[in-house]
Amino acid sequence: MSSTIDSGTPAASPTGGPAPKRGAPRSAALPLNLLKRFLIAREGSIVVVTVLLTVYFIHTLSSAFTSSANIQALFPYFAPYAILAVGEVFLMINGEIDLSIGGVYLFAPYLYYELANGHVPLLIAVLISIAACTLVGVVNGLITMVVGISSFITTLGTLFTLEGFTLIISHAQQVTAPGSQLAGSATSNSLSSFASIFGAGTYSELIWAVIIVAIMHVVLVRTRWGVHTIAVGSNRIAAAEAGVRVRLVVIRNFMVCSTFAGIVGILESIRTSSITPDPSGAGVLTLSAIACAVIGGTLLIGGAGTVAGALVGALFLGVLQDGLAIKGVNANYLDFYLGLAILLAMAINTYVGRVRRRSGIG
Amino acid sequence: MADQIVPGEHIVAPVSAADDVLRVEHISKSFGPVTALRDVSLHLKKGEVLGLLGDNGAGKSTLIKILCGFQKQDGGKMWLKGEPYEPRSVENARELGIDVVYQDLALIDELSVYENMFLCREERHGRLPFLDKLKMKREARTALDDIGINLPRLDVPVARLSGGQRQSIAVARGVYSQADILLLDEPLAAMGAKEGAMILELIARLKEEGKLSIIMILHNYVHVLESCDRVNMITDGIIALDKPTKDTSVEELTEIVVDEYRRARSAAKAEEAAQAAVALADRDDQ
Repeated sequence: MSSTIDSGTPAASPTGGPAPKRGAPRSAALPLNLLKRFLIAREGSIVVVTVLLTVYFIHTLSSAFTSSANIQALFPYFAPYAILAVGEVFLMINGEIDLSIGGVYLFAPYLYYELANGHVPLLIAVLISIAACTLVGVVNGLITMVVGISSFITTLGTLFTLEGFTLIISHAQQVTAPGSQLAGSATSNSLSSFASIFGAGTYSELIWAVIIVAIMHVVLVRTRWGVHTIAVGSNRIAAAEAGVRVRLVVIRNFMVCSTFAGIVGILESIRTSSITPDPSGAGVLTLSAIACAVIGGTLLIGGAGTVAGALVGALFLGVLQDGLAIKGVNANYLDFYLGLAILLAMAINTYVGRVRRRSGIG
Repeated sequence: MADQIVPGEHIVAPVSAADDVLRVEHISKSFGPVTALRDVSLHLKKGEVLGLLGDNGAGKSTLIKILCGFQKQDGGKMWLKGEPYEPRSVENARELGIDVVYQDLALIDELSVYENMFLCREERHGRLPFLDKLKMKREARTALDDIGINLPRLDVPVARLSGGQRQSIAVARGVYSQADILLLDEPLAAMGAKEGAMILELIARLKEEGKLSIIMILHNYVHVLESCDRVNMITDGIIALDKPTKDTSVEELTEIVVDEYRRARSAAKAEEAAQAAVALADRDDQ
């Protein structure tokens, strides 16, 4: 980056690339400065990569990609990942990780199914199931922070425990998600409002994702919880010395992460109207969610990360998967390209991060 | 180990008075086999600046961490303004009016200047949970200006600042926390002469105002004599000296430390000799 865009000093105007209007050197320098700040913001680079990817798919696939049918088909490719990734972002900023979200994701809909079968009203069943997932977060948090086992190991344990438990109670059988059937008689084709809110509506998951991202973004940048989350991840001893309740902060973030995994599990089961005990799918889901967070600029070592970045990371993976699928890329190549794309996006992120640190722009 | 100091051997015993804001009696603290504090008693008057001296590892920082609620003592009692003082946490101690500037500064690299200054006592919009960033920035600016520390921007992460700047942020955080008692653990450690002078000037000003009582760990005896009303020296886990600053001198303080080293060295030599004798005896046995 040349020095000409650093500021609005008059010296910048004669040498600057695009000739600014006379008497208005500031207005020319300002957008460039903003652009620079955007590009090196933590999530800026992945936004650019995602936009470029989208432009590429629009260009090569045209209407097949831009059709409203495809855009709607895109939502499930990214909305669930965005919700899961937001939970991971909070934990990863703490310097922890939650691998058990896949297990929670499998377990929540089966608990919901059992409760609904036991004639618990659907909404109450959903709430109890999600509360149970929150409790898994408490267990993860207590084992990690009080017993003192690394969160990687703790949540690996709860992952297998929950997956196994789910297979036991489900007898490894796929079932139909309660409340997801079409409302009324066979002639009626409309969804119940319950189903359309909890995942089956076209925009349902998207709306959930947007709301959760918006709330958690505000929590991270505008509340004590957010500041303390960053403090704990950046320097745990200093945070404790300053009076931050380190254990409470981490346990709370474990609770959030598990809660979101439970919500996604239920949304997905009602969207697809079936509950499937598929641990391998859940494992991929977990790692994809972590990938979204990392691609979005969240550091695995803790201390830094953004919620908006997680959303964009999820969007990137969603667009990539959807675009490759429409392009007719052989399913065998899909993961291959996906992996390369993740590596490339991360390489760009890391490079931009280095530029950011040198430039002194926060 | 051969040369143990008996508590009270060469101490002027701490004199308690009615105007003590803080009184500490017979505090002890061990970390596993390591004894940091054996039997520490001290007191602090309102508006007083007490210098805490002692060799590396004498237990000064441990004492500070007990006073500020970060660690709990094994034995002994504390009183704050006449009331029993048993802080449950750093936050609790802060609520009771004791704040601290740690030797390691307790700054969060990834957080900005003002976020660090308000860490754990963040300003919010009334009852809403949202941070009042503008107010925090404004107050942080006022506090830093007051000390004379000039930082162009308060929203940059503190990782980008120099050691001296970081230290002045930590000191400003402690001084402007509305505490009654401030504990400073090496407030000048990372500072150049100019920044150090600013902090000493600030402490002199606070002393003049008389509202704040300060316990300060310092290494430089000249600074101690200049800024403190009284000095306490910790040696081997006890207070070995308690004197008003005007009754002591750099020479006396130095002499105590030199003496301490001399005794430690002769103890080490004696131990060496004993070991050599044992080794010799072993060899003779064979």
